[in-house]
Amino acid sequence: MKTLPTGQYIPGDSFLHQLEARAKISCLFLLIAAVLGASSFWGYALVLATISTLLLLSGLPIRGAVAPVRRISWFLLIILLMNALFFEGEAVLASWGIFHLSRGGIEQGFRVVGNLVLILILGNLLTMTTLPTQVTTALESLIKPLKLIGVPTEEVAIIISVAIQFIPTLLEETELIKMTQIARGARFESKKLSERAASFLPLVVPIFISSFRRAEELSLAMEARGYRKARNRTKPKKAPLAPADYTALIVCALICLIQLLWRG
Amino acid sequence: MSKLSSVKRSIITAACIGLCVVLPMAFHSIPNAGRVFLPMHIPVLLSGLICGWSFGLLCGLAGPLLSTLLTGMPPLAFLPSMLVELAVYGVVCGLLINLVRTKNLYTDLYISLVVALLAGRVVAGIAQALLFSAGSYSIAAWTGSYFVTGWPGILLQLALIPAVVSALMKAKLIPARYPAARQSA
Repeated sequence: MKTLPTGQYIPGDSFLHQLEARAKISCLFLLIAAVLGASSFWGYALVLATISTLLLLSGLPIRGAVAPVRRISWFLLIILLMNALFFEGEAVLASWGIFHLSRGGIEQGFRVVGNLVLILILGNLLTMTTLPTQVTTALESLIKPLKLIGVPTEEVAIIISVAIQFIPTLLEETELIKMTQIARGARFESKKLSERAASFLPLVVPIFISSFRRAEELSLAMEARGYRKARNRTKPKKAPLAPADYTALIVCALICLIQLLWRG
Repeated sequence: MSKLSSVKRSIITAACIGLCVVLPMAFHSIPNAGRVFLPMHIPVLLSGLICGWSFGLLCGLAGPLLSTLLTGMPPLAFLPSMLVELAVYGVVCGLLINLVRTKNLYTDLYISLVVALLAGRVVAGIAQALLFSAGSYSIAAWTGSYFVTGWPGILLQLALIPAVVSALMKAKLIPARYPAARQSA
């Protein structure tokens, strides 16, 4: 194995490993809101400093934590270029045919890619420091109020946690299929709408086939191991949140609040 | 499409929710592609068609929500109407594919798809007019945003979804809807 598998749990006893999964998921949502709310240099500096601190606190190898970003670096570069070259901004710096490089486009490209990179690292930090069963139990616990209106929260929690773990793999496969189709002559950047639409046809069908193949393999593996229905499964007794969990939640809420105040 | 186990339906729905995040990212490399090609609609419609209305509903709600949380797309301002629209797609598709049985896969799929696409747009339009943009929403705005801007996406969905379902059946990743007819053909 040349690289660490994306998002796979790495055992450890760091501060992040010891936090309760419910607190970690709530913190993740707060920090995602902080990332999406960042609109200035200082806003991004704050989330960057927070994520760097979390990386240090996790005790994980930096290479592993940023692996999903490295794996889709080409995809991110394409998103950056597309935004920079096709954004309909006013301050155009240079033009070549259908391409218009504008200051607004460059800013938009960096913002989109930056948000994506930061959120990917945050998500990866959660999955690398939390067992999948803990994530599922925590999600189930967080959406438990929906049970009052008849929602099967156990199944929903399983589906959402599997979906979150699918995303990095699906991103890698999409990038691979896109590159393959570009090599075969697909024109994703064509100016004609009909050509663009046509270029996406050979992209979508293979993505679905490969995703459904993965779903088939996973469901077969689960059934072979005796998995039947989420509601029949036993689960560990929930531990109350510790002072460290409350501290993490308060710090993340403060970061989120600061971002909102700076934005407003 | 009714022989899938509960576990497989759950995992397929999870994959479709994942695709609700990933597919728009592939399309969003083109400005405004999300509103024109409507890539997030495809996994939701497929989830409803393949796994049933309840899974379609979950995909229609969780897909856009997760995408907004992870990528910021669709923006929060568009999220409520999109949740309504996609939830209706998933539910109507799932219900109709179980009710409509014409002995022809493509006819079943097209009837379910067309009715679901119309129902989703009508309900989302009503939700916009009564809840999300009360007092400032018109028929022209509804037609513009749901039919004019997104017509390439509608065509793409009508062309792609039956093709994807057929390809999945051929690859034996989902059970054939009319196995006897397939064997005799």
